[in-house]
Amino acid sequence: MKISKLTAGAIAASIISAAALAHGGATGIVKERMDGMGVMKEAMKVLTPMMQGKTAYDAATVRREAKNIAAHAGNALTKLFPEGSLDKPSVAKPEIWQDWATFTALADQLQTFSDGLASASKNGLMMTGTAQGGMMGNTTTMGSGMMGSGTMMGSGTMMGGGMMGGGGMMGGQPDPGALAQMPADGVFMMLSQTCSACHTRFRTE
Amino acid sequence: MKRIIRLGLAGAVMASAGLAAVVAWPIGVPPRPFDLAGNVDRGAYLARASGCIACHTDVAGGGAPLAGGVKFETPFGTLYSPNLTTDKVHGIGGWTLEQFAVAVRQGISPDGQPYYPAFTYPFYGNFTDQDIADLWAAFQTVPPMAKASQDQDMTFPFNQRWGLKLWRAAFLEPPRTNPIPGNDDVWNRGRLLVEGAAHCAACHTGRNFAGARKSDTEHFKGSDALPGGGKAPAIDFDSLKKKGWTLDSLAFALRTGITPDGDAFGGAMGEVVLYGTSFLTEEDRRAMATYLLDDHSGG
Repeated sequence: MKISKLTAGAIAASIISAAALAHGGATGIVKERMDGMGVMKEAMKVLTPMMQGKTAYDAATVRREAKNIAAHAGNALTKLFPEGSLDKPSVAKPEIWQDWATFTALADQLQTFSDGLASASKNGLMMTGTAQGGMMGNTTTMGSGMMGSGTMMGSGTMMGGGMMGGGGMMGGQPDPGALAQMPADGVFMMLSQTCSACHTRFRTE
Repeated sequence: MKRIIRLGLAGAVMASAGLAAVVAWPIGVPPRPFDLAGNVDRGAYLARASGCIACHTDVAGGGAPLAGGVKFETPFGTLYSPNLTTDKVHGIGGWTLEQFAVAVRQGISPDGQPYYPAFTYPFYGNFTDQDIADLWAAFQTVPPMAKASQDQDMTFPFNQRWGLKLWRAAFLEPPRTNPIPGNDDVWNRGRLLVEGAAHCAACHTGRNFAGARKSDTEHFKGSDALPGGGKAPAIDFDSLKKKGWTLDSLAFALRTGITPDGDAFGGAMGEVVLYGTSFLTEEDRRAMATYLLDDHSGG
Protein backbone atom coordinates (compact mmCIF):
# COMPACT_ATOMS: atom_id res chain seq x y z
CA MET A 1 0.00 0.00 0.00
CA LYS A 2 2.77 2.30 1.01
CA ILE A 3 4.63 1.29 -2.10
CA SER A 4 1.70 2.06 -4.36
CA LYS A 5 1.44 5.51 -2.75
CA LEU A 6 5.10 6.05 -3.46
CA THR A 7 4.58 4.90 -7.02
CA ALA A 8 1.63 7.22 -7.42
CA GLY A 9 3.76 10.04 -6.04
CA ALA A 10 6.52 9.23 -8.46
CA ILE A 11 4.08 9.15 -11.35
CA ALA A 12 2.59 12.47 -10.27
CA ALA A 13 6.07 13.96 -10.01
CA SER A 14 7.03 12.75 -13.45
CA ILE A 15 3.81 14.12 -14.92
CA ILE A 16 4.61 17.50 -13.42
CA SER A 17 8.14 17.47 -14.78
CA ALA A 18 6.84 16.30 -18.15
CA ALA A 19 4.51 19.29 -18.13
CA ALA A 20 7.44 21.53 -17.32
CA LEU A 21 9.36 20.01 -20.24
CA ALA A 22 6.44 20.66 -22.53
CA HIS A 23 6.99 24.34 -21.83
CA GLY A 24 10.49 24.05 -23.22
CA GLY A 25 12.03 22.76 -20.03
CA ALA A 26 13.88 26.00 -19.49
CA THR A 27 13.99 27.49 -16.05
CA GLY A 28 15.37 30.62 -14.46
CA ILE A 29 17.47 32.95 -16.52
CA VAL A 30 17.69 30.57 -19.48
CA LYS A 31 13.89 30.56 -19.68
CA GLU A 32 13.79 34.33 -19.33
CA ARG A 33 16.13 34.88 -22.26
CA MET A 34 14.54 32.19 -24.41
CA ASP A 35 11.20 33.89 -23.86
CA GLY A 36 12.77 37.22 -24.84
CA MET A 37 14.19 35.68 -28.01
CA GLY A 38 10.72 34.25 -28.64
CA VAL A 39 9.23 37.76 -28.54
CA MET A 40 11.80 38.94 -31.09
CA LYS A 41 11.13 35.92 -33.27
CA GLU A 42 7.40 36.67 -33.29
CA ALA A 43 8.14 40.28 -34.21
CA MET A 44 10.36 39.13 -37.11
CA LYS A 45 7.61 36.77 -38.21
CA VAL A 46 5.26 39.74 -38.58
CA LEU A 47 7.86 42.05 -40.10
CA THR A 48 9.43 39.69 -42.64
CA PRO A 49 6.43 39.28 -45.01
CA MET A 50 5.65 42.97 -44.65
CA MET A 51 9.18 43.93 -45.69
CA GLN A 52 8.90 41.62 -48.69
CA GLY A 53 5.63 43.21 -49.73
CA LYS A 54 3.71 40.00 -49.03
CA THR A 55 1.45 41.62 -46.48
CA ALA A 56 0.23 45.20 -46.55
CA TYR A 57 2.70 47.69 -45.13
CA ASP A 58 1.51 49.29 -41.92
CA ALA A 59 3.78 51.85 -40.29
CA ALA A 60 2.17 51.48 -36.86
CA THR A 61 2.68 47.70 -36.88
CA VAL A 62 6.30 48.08 -37.97
CA ARG A 63 6.90 50.60 -35.23
CA ARG A 64 5.27 48.41 -32.59
CA GLU A 65 7.19 45.26 -33.57
CA ALA A 66 10.47 47.18 -33.83
CA LYS A 67 9.92 48.44 -30.30
CA ASN A 68 9.22 44.89 -29.16
CA ILE A 69 12.63 43.90 -30.46
CA ALA A 70 14.30 46.97 -29.00
CA ALA A 71 12.90 46.12 -25.58
CA HIS A 72 14.86 42.85 -25.63
CA ALA A 73 18.07 44.15 -27.26
CA GLY A 74 21.22 45.77 -25.89
CA ASN A 75 21.68 45.53 -22.16
CA ALA A 76 18.29 43.84 -21.73
CA LEU A 77 19.71 40.99 -23.78
CA THR A 78 23.25 40.76 -22.43
CA LYS A 79 22.23 40.92 -18.76
CA LEU A 80 20.44 37.57 -19.26
CA PHE A 81 23.72 35.89 -20.15
CA PRO A 82 25.65 35.56 -16.88
CA GLU A 83 28.89 33.68 -17.42
CA GLY A 84 28.46 29.95 -17.84
CA SER A 85 24.64 29.96 -17.98
CA LEU A 86 24.35 27.06 -20.38
CA ASP A 87 21.74 24.89 -18.70
CA LYS A 88 19.63 22.85 -21.08
CA PRO A 89 17.78 23.53 -23.27
CA SER A 90 19.95 26.59 -23.91
CA VAL A 91 21.46 26.70 -27.39
CA ALA A 92 24.00 29.37 -26.43
CA LYS A 93 27.67 28.73 -27.16
CA PRO A 94 30.37 29.20 -24.52
CA GLU A 95 32.09 31.49 -27.07
CA ILE A 96 29.79 34.23 -25.76
CA TRP A 97 32.01 34.66 -22.72
CA GLN A 98 35.25 34.15 -24.62
CA ASP A 99 34.30 37.05 -26.87
CA TRP A 100 32.04 39.14 -24.70
CA ALA A 101 33.01 42.36 -26.53
CA THR A 102 31.65 41.07 -29.85
CA PHE A 103 28.55 39.69 -28.18
CA THR A 104 27.72 43.00 -26.51
CA ALA A 105 28.56 44.93 -29.71
CA LEU A 106 26.02 42.81 -31.60
CA ALA A 107 23.41 43.25 -28.86
CA ASP A 108 23.99 47.02 -29.00
CA GLN A 109 23.79 46.95 -32.79
CA LEU A 110 20.45 45.18 -32.48
CA GLN A 111 19.31 47.97 -30.19
CA THR A 112 20.42 50.64 -32.67
CA PHE A 113 18.78 48.95 -35.65
CA SER A 114 15.51 48.12 -33.88
CA ASP A 115 15.24 51.70 -32.57
CA GLY A 116 16.20 52.83 -36.07
CA LEU A 117 13.48 50.69 -37.63
CA ALA A 118 10.90 52.20 -35.29
CA SER A 119 12.01 55.68 -36.43
CA ALA A 120 12.13 54.65 -40.09
CA SER A 121 8.73 52.93 -40.04
CA LYS A 122 7.06 56.08 -41.41
CA ASN A 123 9.34 55.98 -44.48
CA GLY A 124 7.75 52.88 -45.95
CA LEU A 125 9.45 50.50 -48.36
CA MET A 126 11.81 51.48 -51.10
CA MET A 127 10.73 48.33 -52.87
CA THR A 128 7.30 49.72 -53.60
CA GLY A 129 8.50 53.22 -54.27
CA THR A 130 6.89 54.62 -51.13
CA ALA A 131 10.22 55.36 -49.52
CA GLN A 132 11.20 58.92 -48.79
CA GLY A 133 14.91 58.39 -48.65
CA GLY A 134 16.56 56.40 -51.42
CA MET A 135 20.08 56.34 -50.07
CA MET A 136 20.53 52.65 -50.55
CA GLY A 137 19.48 52.30 -54.15
CA ASN A 138 17.17 49.33 -54.43
CA THR A 139 16.53 46.21 -52.42
CA THR A 140 18.49 43.84 -54.55
CA THR A 141 21.69 45.69 -53.84
CA MET A 142 21.05 45.84 -50.11
CA GLY A 143 22.04 42.38 -48.98
CA SER A 144 25.20 42.10 -50.94
CA GLY A 145 25.77 45.67 -51.99
CA MET A 146 26.23 46.73 -48.41
CA MET A 147 29.21 44.51 -48.22
CA GLY A 148 30.74 45.21 -51.52
CA SER A 149 28.95 44.90 -54.81
CA GLY A 150 28.22 41.22 -54.63
CA THR A 151 31.80 40.15 -54.99
CA MET A 152 33.85 38.48 -52.36
CA MET A 153 35.13 41.73 -50.99
CA GLY A 154 34.17 44.48 -53.33
CA SER A 155 36.41 46.75 -55.27
CA GLY A 156 37.94 43.87 -57.11
CA THR A 157 40.09 42.48 -54.37
CA MET A 158 39.65 39.58 -51.99
CA MET A 159 40.00 41.90 -49.03
CA GLY A 160 38.19 44.97 -47.96
CA GLY A 161 35.48 45.61 -45.46
CA GLY A 162 32.57 43.29 -45.19
CA MET A 163 34.83 40.31 -45.17
CA MET A 164 34.48 39.54 -41.54
CA GLY A 165 31.35 38.84 -39.61
CA GLY A 166 30.57 39.85 -36.13
CA GLY A 167 30.69 43.35 -34.81
CA GLY A 168 32.91 44.64 -37.54
CA MET A 169 30.54 43.64 -40.29
CA MET A 170 28.84 46.98 -40.59
CA GLY A 171 31.86 49.01 -39.66
CA GLY A 172 30.81 50.04 -36.19
CA GLN A 173 27.59 51.48 -34.85
CA PRO A 174 25.55 53.33 -37.44
CA ASP A 175 24.15 56.79 -36.89
CA PRO A 176 20.55 56.73 -35.57
CA GLY A 177 19.78 59.97 -37.45
CA ALA A 178 20.79 58.36 -40.76
CA LEU A 179 18.77 55.23 -40.00
CA ALA A 180 15.66 57.33 -39.36
CA GLN A 181 15.94 58.67 -42.92
CA MET A 182 16.26 55.26 -44.55
CA PRO A 183 13.50 53.17 -46.08
CA ALA A 184 12.18 50.74 -43.48
CA ASP A 185 13.18 47.65 -45.42
CA GLY A 186 16.75 48.94 -45.65
CA VAL A 187 16.98 49.16 -41.87
CA PHE A 188 15.21 45.82 -41.57
CA MET A 189 17.88 44.17 -43.72
CA MET A 190 20.60 45.49 -41.44
CA LEU A 191 18.67 44.34 -38.40
CA SER A 192 18.20 40.84 -39.79
CA GLN A 193 21.88 40.58 -40.63
CA THR A 194 22.63 41.41 -37.01
CA CYS A 195 20.36 38.56 -35.86
CA SER A 196 22.15 36.19 -38.25
CA ALA A 197 25.63 37.39 -37.33
CA CYS A 198 24.96 36.83 -33.64
CA HIS A 199 23.32 33.43 -34.08
CA THR A 200 26.13 32.34 -36.36
CA ARG A 201 28.78 33.18 -33.83
CA PHE A 202 27.01 32.41 -30.60
CA ARG A 203 24.21 29.89 -31.13
CA THR A 204 24.75 26.20 -31.73
CA GLU A 205 22.13 25.77 -34.46
CA MET B 1 54.19 -24.29 -36.16
CA LYS B 2 56.90 -23.34 -38.59
CA ARG B 3 54.33 -23.54 -41.31
CA ILE B 4 52.10 -21.06 -39.55
CA ILE B 5 54.97 -18.65 -39.05
CA ARG B 6 55.91 -19.02 -42.68
CA LEU B 7 52.34 -18.40 -43.77
CA GLY B 8 52.14 -15.39 -41.52
CA LEU B 9 55.37 -14.07 -42.91
CA ALA B 10 54.18 -14.55 -46.47
CA GLY B 11 50.98 -12.77 -45.56
CA ALA B 12 52.88 -9.88 -44.05
CA VAL B 13 55.10 -9.61 -47.13
CA MET B 14 52.09 -9.59 -49.40
CA ALA B 15 50.30 -7.06 -47.22
CA SER B 16 53.24 -4.72 -47.19
CA ALA B 17 53.68 -5.14 -50.93
CA GLY B 18 50.00 -4.29 -51.30
CA LEU B 19 50.43 -1.34 -48.99
CA ALA B 20 53.48 -0.16 -50.92
CA ALA B 21 51.45 -0.40 -54.09
CA VAL B 22 48.68 1.69 -52.59
CA VAL B 23 51.15 4.24 -51.26
CA ALA B 24 52.80 4.49 -54.68
CA TRP B 25 49.50 4.42 -56.56
CA PRO B 26 49.29 7.64 -58.54
CA ILE B 27 45.93 9.36 -58.31
CA GLY B 28 44.19 12.02 -60.32
CA VAL B 29 44.76 13.16 -63.86
CA PRO B 30 47.09 15.96 -64.90
CA PRO B 31 45.07 18.88 -66.25
CA ARG B 32 45.49 19.97 -69.81
CA PRO B 33 47.76 22.97 -69.56
CA PHE B 34 45.61 26.04 -69.82
CA ASP B 35 46.46 29.65 -69.92
CA LEU B 36 43.33 31.69 -69.44
CA ALA B 37 43.11 35.19 -68.07
CA GLY B 38 41.07 35.08 -64.87
CA ASN B 39 38.50 37.62 -63.84
CA VAL B 40 38.97 38.66 -60.21
CA ASP B 41 35.35 39.64 -59.61
CA ARG B 42 34.00 36.42 -61.06
CA GLY B 43 36.52 34.43 -59.05
CA ALA B 44 35.68 36.24 -55.84
CA TYR B 45 32.00 35.58 -56.47
CA LEU B 46 32.64 31.89 -57.05
CA ALA B 47 34.81 31.71 -53.94
CA ARG B 48 31.94 33.19 -51.92
CA ALA B 49 29.47 30.72 -53.43
CA SER B 50 31.86 27.85 -52.73
CA GLY B 51 32.40 28.66 -49.08
CA CYS B 52 36.17 29.21 -49.35
CA ILE B 53 35.98 32.21 -47.04
CA ALA B 54 33.72 30.58 -44.46
CA CYS B 55 35.92 27.52 -43.96
CA HIS B 56 39.34 29.09 -44.39
CA THR B 57 38.87 32.17 -42.21
CA ASP B 58 39.07 31.86 -38.43
CA VAL B 59 36.56 34.61 -37.73
CA ALA B 60 36.10 33.66 -34.08
CA GLY B 61 39.84 33.65 -33.47
CA GLY B 62 40.30 36.97 -35.26
CA GLY B 63 42.30 35.33 -38.07
CA ALA B 64 43.13 37.08 -41.34
CA PRO B 65 40.93 36.29 -44.35
CA LEU B 66 41.72 32.87 -45.84
CA ALA B 67 44.63 32.28 -43.47
CA GLY B 68 42.99 29.05 -42.27
CA GLY B 69 43.00 27.62 -38.78
CA VAL B 70 39.30 26.78 -38.45
CA LYS B 71 38.93 23.61 -36.42
CA PHE B 72 36.70 20.72 -37.54
CA GLU B 73 36.08 17.90 -35.13
CA THR B 74 35.17 14.76 -37.03
CA PRO B 75 34.62 11.18 -35.86
CA PHE B 76 38.07 10.43 -37.30
CA GLY B 77 40.04 13.15 -35.61
CA THR B 78 40.48 16.90 -35.75
CA LEU B 79 41.15 18.83 -38.94
CA TYR B 80 42.25 22.43 -39.37
CA SER B 81 41.62 24.37 -42.57
CA PRO B 82 44.95 25.35 -44.14
CA ASN B 83 46.34 28.76 -45.05
CA LEU B 84 45.19 29.76 -48.55
CA THR B 85 46.80 33.18 -48.66
CA THR B 86 49.53 34.08 -51.16
CA ASP B 87 52.32 33.41 -48.67
CA LYS B 88 54.91 31.42 -50.62
CA VAL B 89 55.89 29.19 -47.72
CA HIS B 90 52.75 28.73 -45.65
CA GLY B 91 50.06 29.51 -48.19
CA ILE B 92 49.54 28.80 -51.87
CA GLY B 93 51.70 31.64 -53.19
CA GLY B 94 54.23 29.22 -54.65
CA TRP B 95 51.67 27.16 -56.56
CA THR B 96 51.07 27.10 -60.29
CA LEU B 97 47.64 27.46 -61.88
CA GLU B 98 47.75 23.78 -62.84
CA GLN B 99 48.48 22.71 -59.25
CA PHE B 100 45.62 24.87 -58.06
CA ALA B 101 43.32 23.28 -60.64
CA VAL B 102 44.24 19.77 -59.46
CA ALA B 103 43.77 20.73 -55.81
CA VAL B 104 40.33 22.30 -56.33
CA ARG B 105 38.83 19.90 -58.85
CA GLN B 106 40.52 16.65 -57.84
CA GLY B 107 41.46 17.12 -54.20
CA ILE B 108 45.15 16.38 -54.67
CA SER B 109 47.94 18.51 -53.26
CA PRO B 110 50.92 19.69 -55.34
CA ASP B 111 53.01 16.87 -53.83
CA GLY B 112 50.49 14.28 -54.96
CA GLN B 113 48.80 13.62 -51.64
CA PRO B 114 45.03 13.23 -51.45
CA TYR B 115 43.16 15.74 -49.31
CA TYR B 116 40.70 14.69 -46.65
CA PRO B 117 37.16 14.95 -47.99
CA ALA B 118 36.37 17.55 -45.31
CA PHE B 119 37.69 19.77 -48.11
CA THR B 120 34.62 19.79 -50.35
CA TYR B 121 36.53 19.28 -53.61
CA PRO B 122 34.15 16.47 -54.67
CA PHE B 123 31.64 19.26 -55.40
CA TYR B 124 34.07 21.33 -57.44
CA GLY B 125 34.99 18.59 -59.92
CA ASN B 126 33.05 20.17 -62.77
CA PHE B 127 34.42 23.69 -62.40
CA THR B 128 35.44 24.84 -65.87
CA ASP B 129 38.95 25.94 -66.75
CA GLN B 130 37.61 29.49 -66.79
CA ASP B 131 36.15 29.04 -63.28
CA ILE B 132 39.55 27.87 -62.05
CA ALA B 133 41.36 30.75 -63.75
CA ASP B 134 38.90 33.20 -62.19
CA LEU B 135 39.33 31.72 -58.73
CA TRP B 136 43.08 31.74 -59.16
CA ALA B 137 43.01 35.41 -60.13
CA ALA B 138 40.91 36.22 -57.08
CA PHE B 139 43.20 34.32 -54.73
CA GLN B 140 46.16 36.33 -56.06
CA THR B 141 44.61 39.43 -54.44
CA VAL B 142 44.76 37.94 -50.93
CA PRO B 143 47.61 39.42 -48.89
CA PRO B 144 50.17 36.85 -47.72
CA MET B 145 49.99 35.73 -44.13
CA ALA B 146 53.13 34.07 -42.82
CA LYS B 147 51.26 31.68 -40.59
CA ALA B 148 51.89 27.96 -40.76
CA SER B 149 48.91 25.73 -41.41
CA GLN B 150 48.18 23.65 -38.36
CA ASP B 151 49.00 19.94 -38.64
CA GLN B 152 45.98 17.70 -39.00
CA ASP B 153 45.32 15.66 -35.90
CA MET B 154 43.66 12.49 -37.14
CA THR B 155 43.58 9.25 -35.21
CA PHE B 156 45.18 6.07 -36.57
CA PRO B 157 44.51 4.75 -39.20
CA PHE B 158 42.94 7.91 -40.59
CA ASN B 159 46.22 9.78 -40.25
CA GLN B 160 47.62 7.59 -43.04
CA ARG B 161 47.00 9.63 -46.16
CA TRP B 162 47.41 6.65 -48.47
CA GLY B 163 44.19 5.29 -46.98
CA LEU B 164 42.41 8.14 -48.71
CA LYS B 165 43.34 6.62 -52.05
CA LEU B 166 41.21 3.63 -51.17
CA TRP B 167 38.51 6.00 -49.96
CA ARG B 168 38.58 7.81 -53.29
CA ALA B 169 38.38 4.57 -55.22
CA ALA B 170 35.40 3.45 -53.18
CA PHE B 171 33.43 6.63 -52.65
CA LEU B 172 34.48 9.56 -54.83
CA GLU B 173 31.76 10.47 -57.29
CA PRO B 174 31.36 13.34 -59.72
CA PRO B 175 29.11 16.24 -58.74
CA ARG B 176 25.55 16.17 -60.03
CA THR B 177 25.86 19.43 -61.86
CA ASN B 178 25.14 18.22 -65.37
CA PRO B 179 22.22 20.19 -66.84
CA ILE B 180 19.01 18.20 -67.17
CA PRO B 181 17.53 18.59 -70.65
CA GLY B 182 13.97 19.80 -70.59
CA ASN B 183 14.46 21.95 -67.50
CA ASP B 184 14.96 25.66 -67.97
CA ASP B 185 18.10 27.71 -67.46
CA VAL B 186 17.08 28.95 -64.02
CA TRP B 187 16.53 25.41 -62.77
CA ASN B 188 19.83 24.21 -64.21
CA ARG B 189 21.68 27.22 -62.85
CA GLY B 190 20.24 26.34 -59.44
CA ARG B 191 21.39 22.75 -59.87
CA LEU B 192 24.89 23.91 -60.79
CA LEU B 193 25.11 25.99 -57.62
CA VAL B 194 23.34 23.65 -55.19
CA GLU B 195 25.03 20.43 -56.28
CA GLY B 196 28.34 22.10 -57.13
CA ALA B 197 29.89 25.24 -55.67
CA ALA B 198 27.49 25.71 -52.76
CA HIS B 199 27.95 22.03 -51.78
CA CYS B 200 24.69 21.85 -49.81
CA ALA B 201 24.91 18.05 -49.64
CA ALA B 202 28.13 18.22 -47.64
CA CYS B 203 26.07 18.94 -44.54
CA HIS B 204 22.53 18.01 -45.54
CA THR B 205 23.31 14.38 -46.48
CA GLY B 206 24.08 11.65 -43.99
CA ARG B 207 27.46 9.95 -44.05
CA ASN B 208 28.47 6.32 -43.78
CA PHE B 209 31.05 4.58 -41.56
CA ALA B 210 33.84 5.98 -43.72
CA GLY B 211 32.57 9.53 -43.74
CA ALA B 212 31.31 9.32 -47.32
CA ARG B 213 27.94 10.79 -48.23
CA LYS B 214 25.12 8.27 -48.59
CA SER B 215 24.19 9.99 -51.79
CA ASP B 216 22.19 7.11 -53.24
CA THR B 217 19.75 6.79 -50.40
CA GLU B 218 19.98 9.90 -48.27
CA HIS B 219 20.69 12.78 -50.64
CA PHE B 220 19.47 15.96 -48.87
CA LYS B 221 17.72 13.92 -46.15
CA GLY B 222 19.64 15.71 -43.41
CA SER B 223 22.46 14.71 -41.08
CA ASP B 224 22.99 14.72 -37.35
CA ALA B 225 26.74 14.26 -37.49
CA LEU B 226 28.22 17.54 -38.64
CA PRO B 227 31.77 18.39 -37.57
CA GLY B 228 31.58 19.48 -33.95
CA GLY B 229 28.30 17.61 -33.43
CA GLY B 230 25.83 19.88 -35.22
CA LYS B 231 22.72 18.84 -37.09
CA ALA B 232 21.48 19.76 -40.54
CA PRO B 233 17.81 19.31 -41.42
CA ALA B 234 16.47 17.52 -44.48
CA ILE B 235 16.30 19.81 -47.51
CA ASP B 236 14.88 17.42 -50.09
CA PHE B 237 12.01 19.10 -51.93
CA ASP B 238 9.42 17.08 -50.07
CA SER B 239 10.69 18.09 -46.64
CA LEU B 240 11.08 21.73 -47.64
CA LYS B 241 7.52 21.86 -48.95
CA LYS B 242 6.13 20.13 -45.87
CA LYS B 243 7.82 22.74 -43.72
CA GLY B 244 6.14 25.47 -45.73
CA TRP B 245 9.15 26.88 -47.58
CA THR B 246 8.38 28.78 -50.77
CA LEU B 247 10.55 30.18 -53.53
CA ASP B 248 10.34 33.63 -51.96
CA SER B 249 10.94 32.59 -48.37
CA LEU B 250 13.86 30.33 -49.25
CA ALA B 251 15.54 32.95 -51.43
CA PHE B 252 14.99 35.49 -48.66
CA ALA B 253 16.49 33.16 -46.04
CA LEU B 254 19.56 32.61 -48.22
CA ARG B 255 19.93 36.39 -48.40
CA THR B 256 19.24 37.33 -44.77
CA GLY B 257 19.32 34.18 -42.68
CA ILE B 258 15.75 34.93 -41.55
CA THR B 259 13.31 32.02 -41.77
CA PRO B 260 9.53 32.29 -42.30
CA ASP B 261 8.86 31.67 -38.61
CA GLY B 262 10.98 34.69 -37.68
CA ASP B 263 14.04 32.79 -36.53
CA ALA B 264 17.57 33.50 -37.75
CA PHE B 265 19.91 30.70 -38.80
CA GLY B 266 22.69 29.98 -36.38
CA GLY B 267 25.78 27.80 -36.46
CA ALA B 268 26.99 26.43 -39.77
CA MET B 269 23.97 27.57 -41.83
CA GLY B 270 24.43 31.06 -40.44
CA GLU B 271 27.98 30.98 -41.80
CA VAL B 272 26.77 29.78 -45.18
CA VAL B 273 24.49 32.80 -45.46
CA LEU B 274 26.69 35.37 -43.77
CA TYR B 275 29.89 34.58 -45.69
CA GLY B 276 28.35 33.02 -48.78
CA THR B 277 24.83 33.25 -50.14
CA SER B 278 24.18 36.79 -48.87
CA PHE B 279 26.82 37.89 -51.40
CA LEU B 280 25.20 36.16 -54.35
CA THR B 281 22.86 37.85 -56.79
CA GLU B 282 19.14 37.63 -56.19
CA GLU B 283 18.89 35.70 -59.46
CA ASP B 284 21.28 33.04 -58.18
CA ARG B 285 19.53 32.72 -54.83
CA ARG B 286 16.21 32.30 -56.61
CA ALA B 287 17.76 29.75 -58.94
CA MET B 288 18.99 27.74 -55.94
CA ALA B 289 15.56 27.93 -54.31
CA THR B 290 13.88 26.93 -57.59
CA TYR B 291 16.00 23.81 -57.86
CA LEU B 292 15.73 22.87 -54.19
CA LEU B 293 11.95 23.14 -54.22
CA ASP B 294 11.50 21.03 -57.32
CA ASP B 295 11.62 17.27 -57.62
CA HIS B 296 15.22 16.61 -58.57
CA SER B 297 15.49 13.19 -56.96
CA GLY B 298 16.21 11.46 -60.23
CA GLY B 299 19.09 13.76 -61.08
